[in-house]
Amino acid sequence: MFLFISVCFLSISVYYLIFGGEYINVVATEPELHLSSTSLVASFSRDEQTANDNYKNKVVEVTGSIKEISYLNNRSTLILEGNTKSSSIICDIQPNHKMKLKKLKEGDTITIKGVCKGYLKDVILLNCVLTNQNTNE
Amino acid sequence: MNKILIQLFFLLNFVPSDSISEQVITRQGQVSFFSYTSVENIEAKNNQVLSIIDLSKQEIAISMLMNAFVFKKSLMHEHFNESYIESDLYPKATFKGNFIDFDPNIEGSQTKFVKGTLTIRNISKEMEIKTNIENIDGKFIITGDFELTVKDFEIKIPPILRPNIAKVISVTFRFEYQPYEE
Repeated sequence: MFLFISVCFLSISVYYLIFGGEYINVVATEPELHLSSTSLVASFSRDEQTANDNYKNKVVEVTGSIKEISYLNNRSTLILEGNTKSSSIICDIQPNHKMKLKKLKEGDTITIKGVCKGYLKDVILLNCVLTNQNTNE
Repeated sequence: MNKILIQLFFLLNFVPSDSISEQVITRQGQVSFFSYTSVENIEAKNNQVLSIIDLSKQEIAISMLMNAFVFKKSLMHEHFNESYIESDLYPKATFKGNFIDFDPNIEGSQTKFVKGTLTIRNISKEMEIKTNIENIDGKFIITGDFELTVKDFEIKIPPILRPNIAKVISVTFRFEYQPYEE
């Protein structure tokens, strides 16, 4: 029995050493917060420190209007409208979800789930997946 | 006659005398770094780097979130943020500098130096970085690479992991700018 446990422990350690664990699985994670893209940007531009405490490194679900779809540097990025013209949300889409972007266009309203990383001039969400889409048709 | 005068007035006012807009921006600049050792190679990329250039003043400003660097293994990401960079305490790295002898009116490619201050973990280093500037119809793309010494930024690496991390880290960057409209 002891041997069995030791082997289990050892293989887990080796697994972590080799694979270094996995990144947070956004698809399977229930978002901690739901909000609109405009209010997420507004809370960061109002008080970055408080917004960081509330949202940083958390899985958030954001609904907003698409400002731009970008494929710069071989990434798939959705930019969602913020509360002002100069600040938005930059959503880096997971590679396995990028096919879904083909059906989208600027102005569509969309719901995205991702890990909030913080704020520069825009709020940055990584590992994003599309959870729901309502095209304006 | 009046109509023509009014039109002329508008033309003179709204067509800028310099065809290049004063400021350009990217929100999706790319910065990568590499650590090569015999034990392992570590590579990380940040695709959401912010940069603004003031073409008339020849100034450049760059800002990035340290926790937005993506690694192959999440354990590397964890060590980087929690132990080495301490991104909760020092969430951003910034660079502020000036181009030396850069003429934004020249089309095509030119190699120039940027002199400025790089700040990581609140520690500032004066740097001179060689960059390639490409100007295609007023659209600027800036690329380059440089090296950083881990010790310069007082990054503490535990002895057991010292062989895994290079003493000198190579950094590459690529910024593709757009006109900046506030």
